[in-house]
Amino acid sequence: MDLDVIIRNFEFIIGGLALTFQLALLTVVGGLFMGIVLAMARLSSRPWIYYPATLYIHFFRGLPLILVIFWLYFLFPVVIGRPMGAFSSAIISFIVFEAAYFAEIMRAGMQSVARGQALAAYSSGLTSYQTTYYVLLPQAFRNMVPSLINQTVIIFQDTSLAYVIGLREFLRRVNLVDAREVRSIELYLFAALVYFIICSTGSLISHRLEKKRVGRLFN
Amino acid sequence: MIEIKDVSLWYKNFKALDHISTTILKGQTVVLCGPSGSGKSSLLRCINGLEHFQEGEIFIDGVSVQDPKTDIYQLRSTIGMVFQHFELYPHMTVMENITLAPIRVRKKSKKEAEEKAMELLEWVGIPEQALKYPEELSGGQKQRVAIARALAMEPKLMLFDEPTSALDPEMIKDVLDVMMNLAKEGMTMVVVTHEMGFAKAVADEIIFMNEGRIIEKGPAQSFFDNPKNERTRQFLSRILWQIDSRVKVKGSWN
Repeated sequence: MDLDVIIRNFEFIIGGLALTFQLALLTVVGGLFMGIVLAMARLSSRPWIYYPATLYIHFFRGLPLILVIFWLYFLFPVVIGRPMGAFSSAIISFIVFEAAYFAEIMRAGMQSVARGQALAAYSSGLTSYQTTYYVLLPQAFRNMVPSLINQTVIIFQDTSLAYVIGLREFLRRVNLVDAREVRSIELYLFAALVYFIICSTGSLISHRLEKKRVGRLFN
Repeated sequence: MIEIKDVSLWYKNFKALDHISTTILKGQTVVLCGPSGSGKSSLLRCINGLEHFQEGEIFIDGVSVQDPKTDIYQLRSTIGMVFQHFELYPHMTVMENITLAPIRVRKKSKKEAEEKAMELLEWVGIPEQALKYPEELSGGQKQRVAIARALAMEPKLMLFDEPTSALDPEMIKDVLDVMMNLAKEGMTMVVVTHEMGFAKAVADEIIFMNEGRIIEKGPAQSFFDNPKNERTRQFLSRILWQIDSRVKVKGSWN
């Protein structure tokens, strides 16, 4: 074991981790925003809003992420007429893909709120906007936070796929160092440890929140 | 006050309400009863526009519920509704539950709304529960909060949809007492219930429904003493048996 290889290349590798965080954060923000829009569309009673959103969600949930990354990377230059940077292309691919998952989490969250809650709110004279904002969303949000955190953990892991279009994020940099120094066991062990610490922290938070929520409901 | 004119309602192909007509006067308490699936709750929801009926008209003080020109939100804000399963908002305290609509719909100040809420909580007998969350209350307390929440809008009409059906027997009396007081104070009330003791004590009129139709209606006394319709008699004999047994045990509000 030569752990020195990690210390020697620490700066280079951690620089990749920063990029990984950047990718994950932008994806989560964009994915949540787009997910809300899609979820609302999925809950709409108007067929011309409901069907396109449903089609979109089924479509992207039916594809492997790596295909979407490749595909959009080669598609964008054709559409916009000039090459697009790997970073922007990756971010857009992630957002477009993850929004489908976020949308389903949020739709389920909204539908988990009992129908009687909306009736009660309407019967007191609240408008549909007020009913959604004050009564339905807060309850839906509480129900979906654990799943949202889970999905964020998955996104964090998925960002490693950005290497296929040449982005030097965390795992790719580990890979590059290995190519130069040939210390696979140590380097990948280190990478695994970093992913494990970050992701299990996320899972732990999600689990805690879930327990707290269930506790509140049944005590 | 409420004029229901020839209302019919379908859920897909199922006819839930079949040419319902009746008039409810100001200050009256009307009890709707009948077997489950007879359309009582649907009729109640038609009155405040929560359910869209395909035929007929309902007027509240001359305002047509389904007229597109009617401000349905404004109309609903003058009609209180209480549900079988309470439907308190679980993420809000009792106080927040009661003050939400007065603040957001009536645009009252928080202070004014809270003072009114405290008054109402005292009136229903649970002022000490104001800062608790619904899950910390018993069923009877929850339903009294729900009544206070509806009353906070100072409604001219109260609709009750089986308000005691989900309660333990010991809790039922607390809720019925509150409702009786409300009836005595002159509130116009439409109550879907199987509590025939309550009906006997305060109902001005009892309407018996079956399969979406009004089978029989009339003052409480004649309804119980000589029901005209065979189906009504059958229903009463089943349900009064329960009441007799309960009154013997509890000897309460009859």
